[in-house]
Amino acid sequence: MDLNRFEDCAAAYGGERRRWPARELELYDRLAGTPAGAAILAQAERTDRFLDAYAPAAPDGRLSRRIGALSRPAWRRYGMPAAAFAASAMLGFAAGFAQVRGDADAAFASRLLLGPQSVQEIGP
Amino acid sequence: MERRPAPEDEALDRELMAAVARRDERAFARLVERHLGWSLGFAERMLGARHDAEDLVQTAFLRVWQGAARWEPKAKFSTWLYRVLHNLCMDQFRAQVRVGEPLDEELPDASPGSEERMAGMQREARVRTALAALPARQRAALVLCYFEERPQAEAAALLGVSEGALESLLSRGRAALKKWLQDELQ
Repeated sequence: MDLNRFEDCAAAYGGERRRWPARELELYDRLAGTPAGAAILAQAERTDRFLDAYAPAAPDGRLSRRIGALSRPAWRRYGMPAAAFAASAMLGFAAGFAQVRGDADAAFASRLLLGPQSVQEIGP
Repeated sequence: MERRPAPEDEALDRELMAAVARRDERAFARLVERHLGWSLGFAERMLGARHDAEDLVQTAFLRVWQGAARWEPKAKFSTWLYRVLHNLCMDQFRAQVRVGEPLDEELPDASPGSEERMAGMQREARVRTALAALPARQRAALVLCYFEERPQAEAAALLGVSEGALESLLSRGRAALKKWLQDELQ
């Protein structure tokens, strides 16, 4: 009768003592060392070993940061990237504007240097 | 995989949740740090796919943040979080049944030790496939009791069954895995 119960427990909880219910530990301790008990545990341990091969990797920092950001209000979560985008857009505009002015100045300088191709180019 | 916080840290969880209820972002970050590892392991074993597990865990922690003010420390925080995760998993199973989803495509790796790593990945994929083939409740029982080593009373309460019924779920789950293994070896 005890051996049947021992077999049922091994079938449900596996071969390792720490996974057995507290109320069955006395049974485990009594029968695990017997030939019949050891054979039952060996069978259960095959399934244990199979399951033990599945060990998901620890979470990476990216996931921690993503979840940690949930507590921040939306304007703080998206505010920084939006501000960075606006700043880079303004910088781009300013650089472009400076280049256009630079081109205009360069054309004027080359005219001064090389001379006008026609009288009309000199202007008033 | 990161283990669950020790029982003596339950008081710390309660303090952190009280702070989260006051919208303390650092307390929330600390709570995430303490519980993210096992939450992700639980979700991945339940769903069988890392990406789905990450999304699910994110949803669970969003509920922690949003529901902290209503949380009452009748049970351990980890038990409550298990329930949230478990319910989300069940919702997902109901919405879409993904059985035996293959691993992401991996390019062959010729670096030293790659054969060993490949063999490890294959072993893991076999367990993933075998677990995914189990009925959801048997899988949940196995993940809670075998991988997470939750006490039987707690796992039974989470699944809404008696401890006897939990034992039956575990026996049937392990018997199915054993048969799956035998079939594969033949």
